[in-house]
Amino acid sequence: MSDWDLDDLEEWDNKICELAKKYGLDWFPIIYETCDYYEMIGNMAYHGMPTHYSHWSYGKSFERTHQMYNLGAEGLPYELIINSDPSIAYLMRENPIYLQILIMAHCTGHSDFFKNNRLFQDTRPETVVSRFRNAKKRIQGYVEDPSIGIEAVELILDAAHTVQFHQNFGNRKKISHAKLKQKYTDKIKNDKNNEYIEFDIEKIPLEPEFDLLDFVLEHASDLHDWQRDVIQIVKDQAEYFLPQMQTKIMNEGWACFWHYKLIHELDLPQKYHIPFIKSHNQVVRPHLGGINPYHLGFYLFNKIEERHGLEECFIARSISHDVSFIREFLTEEDCAELNLFSYIAQKDQYVIDEISDDDGWKKIKLALTKNIGINSIPRMYVDSIEGDNTLVIKHEHDGRDLELSYADEVVTRMSTLWGGTTKLITIVEDEPWEI
Amino acid sequence: MSTFRDHKTIADRSVSDRRRHKTKIEKAIKEGIHNIVAEESIIGKDGKKKIKIPVRGIKEYRFIYGENDNNQQVGSAAGKEVQRGQKVGDRKSDGKQNGSQEAGDQKGEEFYDVEITLEELGHYLFNDLSLPDLERKKIKKILSERVKRHGYRNHGIRPRMDKKETVKRKLRRQAAATRTGTYDPDDPDDNFSFHNEDLRYKHIKKSFKEASTAVIFFIMDVSGSMSTEKKYLARSFFFLLYHFIKHRYEHVELVFIAHDMIAHEVNEDQFFKRGSSGGTIVSSGYEMAMDVINKRYHPNNWNIYSFHCSDGDNFPQDASKANELAERLRDVCQLFGYCEIECDPDRRQWLAGDDSRLSNAFSFLEGEKFKTVKIYDKDDIWSSFVELFGGNVNV
Repeated sequence: MSDWDLDDLEEWDNKICELAKKYGLDWFPIIYETCDYYEMIGNMAYHGMPTHYSHWSYGKSFERTHQMYNLGAEGLPYELIINSDPSIAYLMRENPIYLQILIMAHCTGHSDFFKNNRLFQDTRPETVVSRFRNAKKRIQGYVEDPSIGIEAVELILDAAHTVQFHQNFGNRKKISHAKLKQKYTDKIKNDKNNEYIEFDIEKIPLEPEFDLLDFVLEHASDLHDWQRDVIQIVKDQAEYFLPQMQTKIMNEGWACFWHYKLIHELDLPQKYHIPFIKSHNQVVRPHLGGINPYHLGFYLFNKIEERHGLEECFIARSISHDVSFIREFLTEEDCAELNLFSYIAQKDQYVIDEISDDDGWKKIKLALTKNIGINSIPRMYVDSIEGDNTLVIKHEHDGRDLELSYADEVVTRMSTLWGGTTKLITIVEDEPWEI
Repeated sequence: MSTFRDHKTIADRSVSDRRRHKTKIEKAIKEGIHNIVAEESIIGKDGKKKIKIPVRGIKEYRFIYGENDNNQQVGSAAGKEVQRGQKVGDRKSDGKQNGSQEAGDQKGEEFYDVEITLEELGHYLFNDLSLPDLERKKIKKILSERVKRHGYRNHGIRPRMDKKETVKRKLRRQAAATRTGTYDPDDPDDNFSFHNEDLRYKHIKKSFKEASTAVIFFIMDVSGSMSTEKKYLARSFFFLLYHFIKHRYEHVELVFIAHDMIAHEVNEDQFFKRGSSGGTIVSSGYEMAMDVINKRYHPNNWNIYSFHCSDGDNFPQDASKANELAERLRDVCQLFGYCEIECDPDRRQWLAGDDSRLSNAFSFLEGEKFKTVKIYDKDDIWSSFVELFGGNVNV
């Protein structure tokens, strides 16, 4: 059936590791698990985590992938690896050996990225598997608890999921309300220039709070312990996945960059070489009318190596995230070569509004940086709590209006978490808008 | 240097989450299905056939950007000419882009094709409605002999011989013979053959099942004033009625009667497609229905349902005859539903107080067995249906 066994994998892996080490890649040990396609989809639904709490959305994700796969609309991704120490990666038994080699080289790149990129520093990869297992057990316990039950747990999970990625990003550390209050009390005491004369020290929050779940945990009054725990679990897991969302282009680009480089030096038998090139091209092909992160990332790392040397690539992989990566390295020439364009929705159609010429490329680059990583998530913050326990959330409008039908639903769920009315203030078509 | 191992199978790990997702989808089907079913043809499909219904996916909401002038998306077009103002795809179409141009699908409208059989459809649609039990009339016995397997016998006809059981008996006898020494399995000359007493036959039992039967009369005005839109609404309405009644009875027959000035019994296809012009004499349809009932469907043996869709117009001279026949028809029916379809709101208002409107003229018939409903647009179909059967609309 398959043209390989575990010994073959090990043999090729050794060669890959040796080469990768020579280049200075530094990755977590990797555990490769072989599985069939059904298990693969199962694992994908849970982002590759060996254990994960239950929620219907993962069932949905499974059905979706499964349906797509059966329709032939979408091949399975060739690789699935998680940010853990050791990293766990999955190899599909159905894949031929040349593809396994490609995947292992690719995974080595990912693992190196997980281990070295700045954004991943706080993800605690050595304990993530047990943390997820533990969270699953706790949630399972609440579901089985007759006084709670699945409906109640789901209500909280559904609600918490809606705002899970609205967290403090960057390296901003959370400061507790008490500390913040102390800080402002001190400032008021030493207020020589009367800057704080109108400052309301009793205001909650004292500063705009971008971490919505955290705010709920700190200030919502009627939460049961189990509800707090569920919210905390969702928040922790989102925090773990956020760096991956912020570095999708780089992470995939880096992995592609390395599988391509490594395999070219592997002395691959001729008969594997052509299918390898074919698979590689399949992965990094540009998506007409869209952005393929594999393609863009691969392209840019190659350009960086060409322009600034390999050393610069390593630096970028350590300190950048997608937004800064694009901002720093995407040039006018690149935009033209990739033939990037931007488009907007007009009536029933999508219409191109900018193309990568002298005038357009900067605008396109700006639009691109707005749509990737953390910038694709609208910035929302808790502004205040009004009289009758109404939570006021404001949208930091950057020119782009919210999708109101969605915002509406999120606000409803936010009220569930908050245990009181929630108000959203945003701007729609240049007019203030309140939900 | 890496470690390799077989993935420890967690017996289909997503199964419970899938089940949970499915219950949510089912709920969505129940809530939204009646807007979709209208397209289906009434008959010509047995209960087992699967139909595909697009169901709006259960969404996972979050704060996202909408599509507006300021929300530019970026795409690449390697090797293609692009210009400002060029159109790159259609919006909507269920969030799926046509062609290879993949445009920003921010909102992620998801549709699932849920395949269900018409039986299941009936289940979703009707089971949870708090409809009163429909009175079952004298039940007509249909001699549908149900043949059921019922153990084995020593005698029977050849075709029912059960080989497996027969061989088992032979083996049993053979083992006994070996033990008592009358048969030596190692001796090639000792041939152990089948005996008559080994033979076993399947036994079957006939059972009679009492089946309930119903006939539905679909009467529709096909005069010139019944536009395609009105017919479409009527069709959707009939579809629901048919499936509901079919759901409750084992055997359902349909009679389609189209009328303008005169009535014709037609088949389903002609019923909906046939255009006609000219005036309306409602009594002709009822007369035809009564005629068919007298000839083929005796009320003692059949549960009779009649549904009449019209736009409310009738030839003024026909009024008293129509009333009289409607009353007679009502008396032989389990339920006689009259459904008035009017799409034009202006006309509706204008005609509301007109006594010659059928809905007004028939008000004297109103009761347990006669119901009038009005359908103005697609959304009314479901509520009218529920109203007709005395259920609670907000289910």
